[in-house]
Amino acid sequence: MKKCLKIIVVLLFAMSFSVAGFAAGTVKIGILQGFTGPIESLTPPMALAAELAINEASDSGAFLGGTKIVSVRGDSTCIDASAATAAAERLINSEKVIAIVGASCSGSTTAVVNNASVPNGITTISSSATSSALTMIKDNGFFFRTAPSDARQGQVLANIVIDRGIKQVAITYTNNDYGKGLSNAFTGVYTKLGGKILMTASHEDGKADYAADVASLSASGANDLVVFGYLDQGGKGIIQASLDTGAFDRFILADGMIGPGLTDDLGKGINGSFGTMPGGESEAAQKWAKVGKASGIPLDGPFRDGSYDAAALIILAAQAGNSADRASIQKHIMDVANAPGEKIFAGELKKGLQILAKGGKIDYVGAKDIEFNEVGEIFGSYQEVEVKSAKFETIKVH
Amino acid sequence: MPWFTDILNAVVLMCNFMIVPALSYGSQLALGALAVTLVYSVLRFANFAQGDTMAFATVVTILSTWVLQNSGISFGFMPTAILAMPIAVIACLAYVLLIDKFVYEYYRNQNSKPITIVMASVGVMFITGGIVRFVLGPSHQIFSDGARFIITTREFKEMTGLSEGLAIKTSQFLTVTIAIMLVGFVFYFLQKTKTGKAMRAYSDNENLALLSGIDPAKVVRVTWILVAVLTTIAGVLYGLDKGFMAISYHQLLLPTFAAVIVGGIGSPIGAIVGGFVISFSELTMTYAYKKFLIYLLPEALEPSGLVQFLSTEYKFAISFVILVIVLLLRPTGIFKGKVI
Amino acid sequence: MNQYKARLFISFSMMILLLLLVGFFQSWALCLTIVNLCLISAIMALGVNIQWGYAGLFNVGIMGFAALGGMSVVLISKNSVPEALQAGGLKMFIALFILAATVAAAVYLHKKFQRKSLVILTILIGYFITRYFYSDASQSIESVNPALTGYLGGLGLPVLFSWIAGGFLAAAAAWLIGKITLGLRTDYLAIATLGISEIILAVIKNEDWMVRGVKNVTSIPRPVPYEIDLQQTAWFQDMIAKFYSKSLDILPVADQAAALKDYISEASILMVKLSYTGLFTSVLLLLIILATLALNSPWGRMIRAIRDNETAASAMGKDITKRHLQIFVIGSAIVGVAGAMLVTYDGQFTPGSYIPLRFTFLIWVMVIVGGSGNNLGSVIGGFVIWFLWIMAEPVGFWLADLSTSFLNSENFFRQHLLEHAQYIRLIFMGLVLLLVMRFSPDGILPETNKKL
Repeated sequence: MKKCLKIIVVLLFAMSFSVAGFAAGTVKIGILQGFTGPIESLTPPMALAAELAINEASDSGAFLGGTKIVSVRGDSTCIDASAATAAAERLINSEKVIAIVGASCSGSTTAVVNNASVPNGITTISSSATSSALTMIKDNGFFFRTAPSDARQGQVLANIVIDRGIKQVAITYTNNDYGKGLSNAFTGVYTKLGGKILMTASHEDGKADYAADVASLSASGANDLVVFGYLDQGGKGIIQASLDTGAFDRFILADGMIGPGLTDDLGKGINGSFGTMPGGESEAAQKWAKVGKASGIPLDGPFRDGSYDAAALIILAAQAGNSADRASIQKHIMDVANAPGEKIFAGELKKGLQILAKGGKIDYVGAKDIEFNEVGEIFGSYQEVEVKSAKFETIKVH
Repeated sequence: MPWFTDILNAVVLMCNFMIVPALSYGSQLALGALAVTLVYSVLRFANFAQGDTMAFATVVTILSTWVLQNSGISFGFMPTAILAMPIAVIACLAYVLLIDKFVYEYYRNQNSKPITIVMASVGVMFITGGIVRFVLGPSHQIFSDGARFIITTREFKEMTGLSEGLAIKTSQFLTVTIAIMLVGFVFYFLQKTKTGKAMRAYSDNENLALLSGIDPAKVVRVTWILVAVLTTIAGVLYGLDKGFMAISYHQLLLPTFAAVIVGGIGSPIGAIVGGFVISFSELTMTYAYKKFLIYLLPEALEPSGLVQFLSTEYKFAISFVILVIVLLLRPTGIFKGKVI
Repeated sequence: MNQYKARLFISFSMMILLLLLVGFFQSWALCLTIVNLCLISAIMALGVNIQWGYAGLFNVGIMGFAALGGMSVVLISKNSVPEALQAGGLKMFIALFILAATVAAAVYLHKKFQRKSLVILTILIGYFITRYFYSDASQSIESVNPALTGYLGGLGLPVLFSWIAGGFLAAAAAWLIGKITLGLRTDYLAIATLGISEIILAVIKNEDWMVRGVKNVTSIPRPVPYEIDLQQTAWFQDMIAKFYSKSLDILPVADQAAALKDYISEASILMVKLSYTGLFTSVLLLLIILATLALNSPWGRMIRAIRDNETAASAMGKDITKRHLQIFVIGSAIVGVAGAMLVTYDGQFTPGSYIPLRFTFLIWVMVIVGGSGNNLGSVIGGFVIWFLWIMAEPVGFWLADLSTSFLNSENFFRQHLLEHAQYIRLIFMGLVLLLVMRFSPDGILPETNKKL
């Protein structure tokens, strides 16, 4: 017993000392994502994408006269606001990061922005917090996001559905602020345009079984099912169960559901399904696809491109102000993200850094066609995509 | 005979959306519940680590399936994972025996309160969940191969000419058949073999069993063997049907417990029935009967609403409402469980 | 007894030393964040300890009570939404009234006539009337500006009231639940409470008209000032300037303003956190004093007598179920208070964040590790376990990095380990629990007055 207590005590002390090494000529960027918790399966590739940008800039040797950049990960747990805040504070105060990419979910992001980012004056760029409530957050200009608000997507999607002549749908959404917000936004516009929603039901992610959900959705009499969920979570479970029982064969999808992961597993069954995902200018998306593929990051799935952009923006903003100072980064984010300037795409960070070093201007387009509005959000154009022979194909840009 | 077709359509609709999914989900729950109940009646604690142990066994299966697939071995129209299952059973057995040796055995010898052992199983739950995520990560894995369907809705419609279709997946078929065989075996084992009888005696009255010369260590070992087999098979069947994800296995714990209690904790037959009660009630309570009634009722009486008892949001709560009701009206469960 | 005092002294001074070390070597803001959450955890653990340590009730529904406490913060502190009240407030009130009346009538009829058919009939009629008013009301409330409000809002009172209200709300729920489940055996009680807490959460998540459900409520008013406001307050600026005047004077004049700004911003963060620490500490102290007084009173002795030997106590004419109900309600109320404090501290109520692993099982680990039956034990347990829970994550990375540092960075095993390092936290927690239970079953601070 003594021994075991001793071990615990020693470990406790080791923890209180755990100060990471701080080599000269190195700066750190915090990557705060929900590595454990309900979206734990989505976050590792997001972190990898952000680290891709970090490594690209660091290896280029062009950042602040050859300064190296390293990433420090922190777990926001997605749902536990206190743990997220504590992790953010660890990144900010003991790891001394220059800015943060994160947090993952809208709830933990709000907590981090209110309780850690704003008081400490640290730029925080989320690639996945899409709640429309975050538009109103009092962030003193420290919060940006590379994911457009749900309100906008719901509107775009509703218009597409009506344009396609679909007047009756059933909706299933994942039971969190993302799903519910999107569902509300969609419902509002769709009914105003004359559409009829026969049933709206939520589903819980990571649950044992979706047979009951699909059974009642199909009984509503709708032929098309709108799915606001995640493609490796309940959303896919619902589609899978619908296909298995023949309940629906056309699905209307939002960004969380769109990616090769869905088509690879479900194949031709969902041919004809369509949806929206952020991203417009196809040049940006194509360049990102090339960069992403070369790096070996699994590209199927949402928010990865945005994470790359978030990290890239921080790096470029630091370069623009010629200082890794926190306040300077915040000041320059808008400059590098928006026109005027030379367009910089994913994989071209070196070029961007060099231009900035010479005192030039850039307009970072990145993977997601970044252009911030006055509250630091991308307005976001959306691609209308459709599944044709088991692949998502872009139809047009809205 | 249009009315006859209507009735047939209604029946097929019911089968497709309710009976077939409920049967397979119920079987998966029942196997897990049987494992929990065995642990409860012989080792006398509610095993909170059950869901994560299922995930552990499934992870081993997935890894060995990948190895098999890479070396070009497959199992015809059946999923390759079935071939990998024996390896997983052995790994799972080794794991639970190891845990028993280092964790539970001590408390058993100390004659600790059941609650203490339950707490220990919470510790095991933490560790197992950590190992599972550490090895395979938290993401969704699909490892079923072979033929996906025995019959699809389209085939069924073409075959019968009905407007409603019925689909049966290979995994559903496998789930139900394997579950029946396994449950049959467990019952035969408990009722007819000497070791099984010894287990029952031990569970009924430990002291008496010890007096009559039953080796407790052997009883415990055999119980863990059964538990490992049940856990592995339940985990793999569930994964084949719905894919593997660490967190959904963890959450299976709650409906499994509900099944055990509703059936009567410590009663093997109760565990089976409990599993089906939970799965059927989730589906019947949240099903919208609109379409079903349209087939059956004359046009004038057709319902305009969805005819749903409860919205699917509360699907998850249903198993617990049933649980609470059963606890109130008949605390020992449907089949009289143990009362210590 | 002296040995116990030594243990008490050593464990608390070690914990304080640890936190001080975090402050010195990492940062004071992090240190205070950890302290504040440790304090809240300690209060939750105290509530559970009262149930388990005093009366042997195995309550696995802690999450539900914490969520109810959190809900009360929204109900008390947010401003009301007049449009929503107008749209459906009255109807919702009628619906709830009819619901309550139905339950009361059913209970009355059951007691008076013992006729099941009559009771069922009453419930059915009540259900349909309630549902008629309810679905209409909830729909009209939820459709009032759903992106921002879509709920009735709260009373707009100072947020500190909600801590008391959270306690009462949790107590009321506990009374109801206790009435139903306390006749059950321990392990049944455990699973029943686990289930009921899930039901509570399902209701909070799906009834948007109450507290916005999964759409979350953010920007909850604070009981302490905001950092930004402090930074702009003259007296605060002066105070900091005075405090740091020496280190500022050394700097060149050009850098002084920037340095002062840094100092002020840092100090404002610490100031806010310290005010929370003060509030939380006073609540914790108050609760401990009350709990200790209660435990040593005749009532406390009776409770422990019941725990140690129910049969004997009941033979002496003690009403066991009633006492258990009291304990259950008190313990749950304390958890509710802690839940309200947590939501106040976070500044937001997110129903999705309540999961059993974090709010039920982790608290249990605190109680067991700290020493069940000992109030100070659960405090130290809350501190140690929360510290571990937060710190296990960086240590996991550190261990993974260190143990594979001999491998090159492209090595598959090393990469896998680093990518999955965050899950070491779970394994670590489990190991701590098992080790303590095995080798120090009484926890860090054993129960002092075990024998009566």
